Amino acid sequence: MSSTLLRLKQVSKCAVNGNWVPRALSTSAQRLAETTLKNDFALLNPEDVEHKKKLQELITVEGTTDLSPISGVPEEHIRERRVRIYEPAKNCMQSGTSNIGHWQIDFDTRERWENPLMGWCSTGDPLSNMQVEFSSKDDAIDYCEKNGWTWFIQKSSLEKNFKPKNYGVNFAWNKRTRVSTK
Amino acid sequence: MLRLTVSRALNGAKSSPTCLSVASRYQSDQKKPDKIEVFIDDKPVLVEPGTTVLQAAAMVGVEIPRFCYHERLAVAGNCRMCLVEVEKSPKPVAACAMPVMKGWRVKTDSEMTRKAREGIMEFLLVNHPLDCPICDQGGECDLQDQSMAFGSDRSRFTDIDFSGKRAVEDKDIGPLVKTIMTRCIHCTRCIRFASEVAGINDLGTTGRGNDMQVGTYIEKLFMSELSGNIIDLCPVGALTSKPYSFTARPWEIRKVDSIDVLDAVGSNIIVSTRTGEVMRIVPRVNEEINEEWLADKSRFAYDGLKRQRLVTPMLRDNNGDLNPVDWEAALITVAKVVKHAGNSIGAIAGGFADAEALIALKDLLNRLGSEHLCTERTFPLDGSGTDLRSSYLLNNKIAAVEEADLVLLVGTNPRFEAPLLNARLRKAWVHNETDVALIGPQVDLTYHYEHLGDDPNVLRKINEGDHEFADKLKRAKKPLIIIGAELLERKDGGALLSTVQNLSTKLNSNEDWKVLNVLHKVASQVAALDIGYNPGIDKIKSADLKVLYLLGADGDHINKEDLPKDCFVIYQGHHGDRGAAIADAVLPGAAYTEKQATYVNTEGRAQQTLVAVSPPGRAREDWKIIRALSEIVGAKLPYDNLNQIRDRLDEIAPHLTRYGNAESANYFKQAAELSKKTESAIDCKPIDVKIKELQDYYMTDSISRASPTMAKCVQAVLKQKQSACN
Repeated sequence: MSSTLLRLKQVSKCAVNGNWVPRALSTSAQRLAETTLKNDFALLNPEDVEHKKKLQELITVEGTTDLSPISGVPEEHIRERRVRIYEPAKNCMQSGTSNIGHWQIDFDTRERWENPLMGWCSTGDPLSNMQVEFSSKDDAIDYCEKNGWTWFIQKSSLEKNFKPKNYGVNFAWNKRTRVSTK
Repeated sequence: MLRLTVSRALNGAKSSPTCLSVASRYQSDQKKPDKIEVFIDDKPVLVEPGTTVLQAAAMVGVEIPRFCYHERLAVAGNCRMCLVEVEKSPKPVAACAMPVMKGWRVKTDSEMTRKAREGIMEFLLVNHPLDCPICDQGGECDLQDQSMAFGSDRSRFTDIDFSGKRAVEDKDIGPLVKTIMTRCIHCTRCIRFASEVAGINDLGTTGRGNDMQVGTYIEKLFMSELSGNIIDLCPVGALTSKPYSFTARPWEIRKVDSIDVLDAVGSNIIVSTRTGEVMRIVPRVNEEINEEWLADKSRFAYDGLKRQRLVTPMLRDNNGDLNPVDWEAALITVAKVVKHAGNSIGAIAGGFADAEALIALKDLLNRLGSEHLCTERTFPLDGSGTDLRSSYLLNNKIAAVEEADLVLLVGTNPRFEAPLLNARLRKAWVHNETDVALIGPQVDLTYHYEHLGDDPNVLRKINEGDHEFADKLKRAKKPLIIIGAELLERKDGGALLSTVQNLSTKLNSNEDWKVLNVLHKVASQVAALDIGYNPGIDKIKSADLKVLYLLGADGDHINKEDLPKDCFVIYQGHHGDRGAAIADAVLPGAAYTEKQATYVNTEGRAQQTLVAVSPPGRAREDWKIIRALSEIVGAKLPYDNLNQIRDRLDEIAPHLTRYGNAESANYFKQAAELSKKTESAIDCKPIDVKIKELQDYYMTDSISRASPTMAKCVQAVLKQKQSACN
C-alpha cells in the first residue's frame, strides 16, 4: 500500500515538471526534479501553486485493494475457500521453539486420496500446500483481504503465567511438591 | 542510570522524583521483591529473584538446549545438556536448576558452553542406538535435532571389544505406550510426569550409572488415564505410541488443529492425517483448557473413527434389515414420513452433536410445528432451569481451578469424567496446597481428599451450617463447588442443585470468583442448552410421536419400547451403535474430525473443529443433511453455507460464534432466588457416579466403543487388577 502511494507521488512530481523521468530510474534525476519544483513556486500564480501542491499530496485509495480479479486465482478458490489465521503452537513432542512465534494462514482441507500408482497422497486442491507466514495478525488479515478470501482467526492462548522454577521444592519437607519417586 | 537501593531512598538520601516513585511503588506492593538484572549473552534482562538461568534466557529469546527440563514438570537437573558458562565461574552451570544471581553474565554460546554440550551429546550418543531410520520418534526427536545442532561432527565411539552398545530390555507398560528402553537417555521426564501430574507413583529408576533403568521394577501396567502424555514428553524414542507405531512419519503427515469432543472439556488437539486417514491425535497447547496434556480416550480412540462407521444411507425393509440406498431414496422416504407426521415429530440430540446440526434440526422441527427437541442428558428444570446459563456452566473456568484454596466435589469423579480438570485439581493440590473434599462414592482421584460420605443430605447440612465442613467452606477465600451433571440427572436433581446454588451464593464474596460449577460429561450439552433444547427425554416418552429424529443419540436412553409402535425412527450420526440399531432410516453424518463445527465446552467456551479428513463413503456434514431434508419436506431452511448457518447461530446466541472465548454467565443470585421455589426434597439415596474405576473410563461413547485400542485398554486394566502385584 505505502509503496503504491510513494510511486504515485513520484510520478506526479515528474509529470508536473514536464520532463518525464521513468520512475525510480535514477535518484539523482529525482533530486534534480525536486529542487526545480521548489524554485518554481515563486514564478507561478496562486491557482497553479495550489494545483501543484495538490498533485504532490498523497492519494488515498478508498477501501482495500482487491487483487482477486487480477491475481489469476480461479474464482472458485477465492469465493469458496476459508482461510484460517493462527499462531502455531509449540509441538508438544519437542522442546524447540524456533519454528513458532509467528502468524500463519492456511486453507480449509479438501478431499485427499491415496494415489493408486505409488500410494502417495493426492489432492485436487492447489491451495492445500499453501502456508504463508506473517509477523503479525494484521498483516495476515490484510493479505487475505487483498486476495478476497474469507478468513477467520483462531484464538490461541499460549501465554503461560511465569513462575520461577525451583530445584529445592523437590526436597521440601513440608510441601506436597516433595518428590516421592526417583 | 543511577541505581539507589530502596532503603537509601526511604532514608531520605538525595533522591530524584523517579527514585521516589520507585520507593512508593515498592511500599504499595510489599510482596514483590526487587527484580535483579542479569545478562544473557550480553543482553540485559530483569528477572524475579529465584528465576533460573534457563528461564531468564528464555525471556530474551535465547533457547538453551535441554532434555530433562520441562516447564510443566519439576526440575530434575540430570541430563546436563543445559550447561552454560557463567562469567567468573570456573565450571559450567546447569541452567535449568541454577537460580540467577545479581549481575551474572551468562554466555550461552561461548567456547566452554559449546564444549560442554558437545561432551554431553557424545556421552548420550555412546549409549544411544543409531536406529533413527526405524525409530518412530525420527523427525520429531529432540536428541536427533540437538545432536545436529550441538553434537560433534565425528564419533570417537569405537567398540573395542565388539560387545555392542548398551542394551536394555523393553518393558511392557500397557497397550498404549510402546517402550524401547535401549533408547532411553534417563531424563526421568516420564517418572516426574507420572508422580506429579498423573499421580501414579509406578515409574522410577533402578540401578546406577550405566546400569540405570527407567521402569516399573515389576512388570506392571501404567494405570493412568493420562498415560499417553509420556509419549509426548519423551525427548527420544524410548516411549512411543503403540497404536501409531510404524504407521507414519512426522514429515508425511498433515496436521490440522481441532477440538476434542470425547469429554466436555474441549481439549485442543492436532489431528495428524495422511491420505484421508487419521493417523494420530496429539494435544495442542491451550493454557486455558488442557495446557499441553491430553487424556487417553481423546488421544487413542481415533481408531474408532475407522470402524463401525455408517458410510451410506440405509432404510429398514419389511424383514427388519437395514439396506443401503442412495441419498435421494433415503431423503425422499424420510421426507415423506416427516411430512406425514406433521407436528408429532421429536428429536433427541446425542453427545457428539455440533451446534450447527443442533440449530438446523431445531429450526426444521420448529418450522414443522414441533417443540419436542431434547438432549439425551437431563438437567433439572425446577427453579430457573436452563434459562440462566450460570446454572449449568463450569462458571469459574478450568484454569482458575488452580487458584482455589478449597474445592468441594459433589457427585462427580473428575478423574474419569474430565481427566484434564482433574489434572488441574491435582496441580492445585500439589503446588497451591488446595484442599479437596468429595461427596459421593469413594474413588481414587490421585490426590488426597476429605471424604464427606455419599449421603446427599450432607449437602443440605453444609448449606444449613450443621456440618463441620460448613465452617471450612466459610473460611475459604476462594472456594469452589464442582457438581457433576450426572448427579443432577437424579430425581431429586432440582433439590440438589437448589441447595448448591444457595450454598454458593452464601459463599460468594468476590464478583469475579464463581463458586458454583457444573461439570458436564458430553461435548454437546452446553451448546444444546444454549440453543434451547429441553434437557432429558421425558417429553419424548410422553408425547405420542410419529417420527423420532435421533441426532447421534447413542447413549442408550431410549428404546423401541418407550415409543409408540408405529413411530418411525430416523438416526443421523456417524457410528452404527445403539441409535442406528433401533432406526428405520439411517442418514450417515460426519464425525468431529470430518467437519468444521462448533462445540461449546463445559465452561461455555465455544470452539470449532476443523476438517481433517473428508467423511467416509456417502457420509455428509450433519447440518447439510438436515438442510437437504428441509427442502424436500417443504420447510426450506434459510442457510446454504457455513457462514450463513453461523450467522443464524449468532442470531440466537452470539457467544456460539465467538470462538475461543468463554462467555461468562452471572445470574447466580437470581437463579438461587428462583430455585427456592423448588418443592422437591433431597432423598436419601446415596450419591453414585457411573465411572468409578479406570476400566469404566475407556469405552463410554459410540467412538470409543468402536475403538479396538480402547477395548485393549479395558482388557489390560482388568488383567492388571487380577494380578498379584496390583
